Amino acid sequence: MTTITESPPASASGPRAPRSRTRRLKLPSFALAIPAWAWLFAFFVAPVALVVWFSFGYKPGIFGTHANDVLSFDRYAEALSPTFFATFQNTLWVGVVGTLICLAISIPFAYWLAFKAPVSRRGILLAMVMIPFWTNFLVRTIGWQIILAPSGLLSEALQSIGVLNEPLEILFTRTAVLIGVVYNYLPLMILPMFVAFDRVSLPMREASKDLGAGRLSTFVNVTLPLAKPGIIVGILLVYIPLMGDYITATVLGGAKGNMAGQMVANQFQTAQNWALGSAMAVVLVLTILTTVAIAALVAWLAAWPLRASQRLVLGGES
Amino acid sequence: MNRLSLTDISLKVWAVIVFIFLFLPIAVIIIYSFNEGRLLVAWNQFGFGSFGAIATKPAISDAVLVSIQTGFIAALIATALGTMAGVALARRAGKWAPWFLILLILVTVTPEIVDAVSLLPWMVFLGQDAGLSIFDDGIVRLVVGHSLFATAVVAYIVRSRLIGIDESLEEAAADLYAPPFKRFTQITLPLVMPAVLAGGLLSFTLSLDNTIVSAFVQVSGSTPWPVYVLSAVRTGLRPEIAAVSTIMLLLTLAALGLVAYVLRRAGDSPTDIAKTVGGG
Repeated sequence: MTTITESPPASASGPRAPRSRTRRLKLPSFALAIPAWAWLFAFFVAPVALVVWFSFGYKPGIFGTHANDVLSFDRYAEALSPTFFATFQNTLWVGVVGTLICLAISIPFAYWLAFKAPVSRRGILLAMVMIPFWTNFLVRTIGWQIILAPSGLLSEALQSIGVLNEPLEILFTRTAVLIGVVYNYLPLMILPMFVAFDRVSLPMREASKDLGAGRLSTFVNVTLPLAKPGIIVGILLVYIPLMGDYITATVLGGAKGNMAGQMVANQFQTAQNWALGSAMAVVLVLTILTTVAIAALVAWLAAWPLRASQRLVLGGES
Repeated sequence: MNRLSLTDISLKVWAVIVFIFLFLPIAVIIIYSFNEGRLLVAWNQFGFGSFGAIATKPAISDAVLVSIQTGFIAALIATALGTMAGVALARRAGKWAPWFLILLILVTVTPEIVDAVSLLPWMVFLGQDAGLSIFDDGIVRLVVGHSLFATAVVAYIVRSRLIGIDESLEEAAADLYAPPFKRFTQITLPLVMPAVLAGGLLSFTLSLDNTIVSAFVQVSGSTPWPVYVLSAVRTGLRPEIAAVSTIMLLLTLAALGLVAYVLRRAGDSPTDIAKTVGGG
């Protein structure tokens, strides 16, 4: 469609048509994107490139933060040394388990919201999912601190009904961080998944049932595959920010629930070792990218026999 | 028939549990904002003391003012840049468009902590080594840091809205010899206005919520509200924090309601609104 508006000046832009030529020069197709492009280059690409550059340097003495006169991969070796590696492992555990729990909570919930919830109330129900999402991230995490504290709500409630005999010792552990991240990122899983389920039209599912498929079979063979893009978006929206999380671990984690984001922050703020902190940041990003790539590969390979079998079934029936 | 309704009932029970989970900490914060105790976490008795205490602490109102000011400017910048970028992506996509989209995606998927640690040395470099003293200003630093993610979000929203609208109106304007600028301000812009407003309000809330980047780039003297809360997490949380949070929650809800209203009037279904507000 764009070509229609642009083609007359473009075709007339020979040497004989100076007027249309200047008009075309005034507005190249990317002109409107230039300000955003420049802004993001100046304040995203350049600073991130600087950090990658720092990661090959070292920390000169106690008062310096970084130096790059000798370049090496030593900071990467340091970032992966046992002390720090344990934190990366911990982060990966929280990231993977947290994402899986979000997935397990969201699938039935989004399914209910898309197919079972009364249509007239769907708007208000969606808004209710979004309210926590737009409440201050830090403040809702503090809410969990109040709930999970040894003298807090949950502890007292469990003690009064006799489930526990002593105060709940869950705050400042990895479990508390896990609860926090599942809570904080859950709406990011529910929303795209709801949109995906909502797109799977009722006729499609009814056709499946008319052809004799059961409810479960319809869900597994029709609804879920059609909603796959939304589910993948949800997984990425949860997993990526979760891996870089800094606030949840700071408020709920304590010493036992350390995550990579805090480690990076510490190198910049407390240890003043920008070179090591930069290397850790790069390792964190690479960990995220690698695990996403591995997960995509595994999912693709795992679906291979399924795809083959489905093709056979469809072929046999027709 | 019986098995059928059993599934439905368990799904419904599950939904109720999820909603309780989603609202539990928010309810706790609202309840604890009426805590008369000295420390937020230890409940003492019900009262409105914490709301009164806000007025006596200038640091709190200063922090909230810094946040609102930053949010406003960051939203303006992100909306302007993002709208233009979104229009370009939807209407004039050329060979550059996939590369630009990759840049936008990179901005959205980079963990915030990485943005934060990269902006800190960069601001120091720009402000001191490059001599651009404007980058030593606290508000400027916060605005820059908050505008990056928001610009990408606005660009997505505007792009997806414009892709859904037929281009014939703009073509008609071009056929009637409307100059490109006039065509943009009089035809394209009104068409995307709902998306622009939604994007602007989202940018504002994103900025109000931003903690990590703010904690790194802030200059003492212009501490935004979330950073004030974060430092209180380390030194001891007091009920005033919950009180201000309750007030700000009401403001955020008002902003969200406004977004939903604008989109509703523009003819969006609840699903579309969820998509827009969910950022894609």
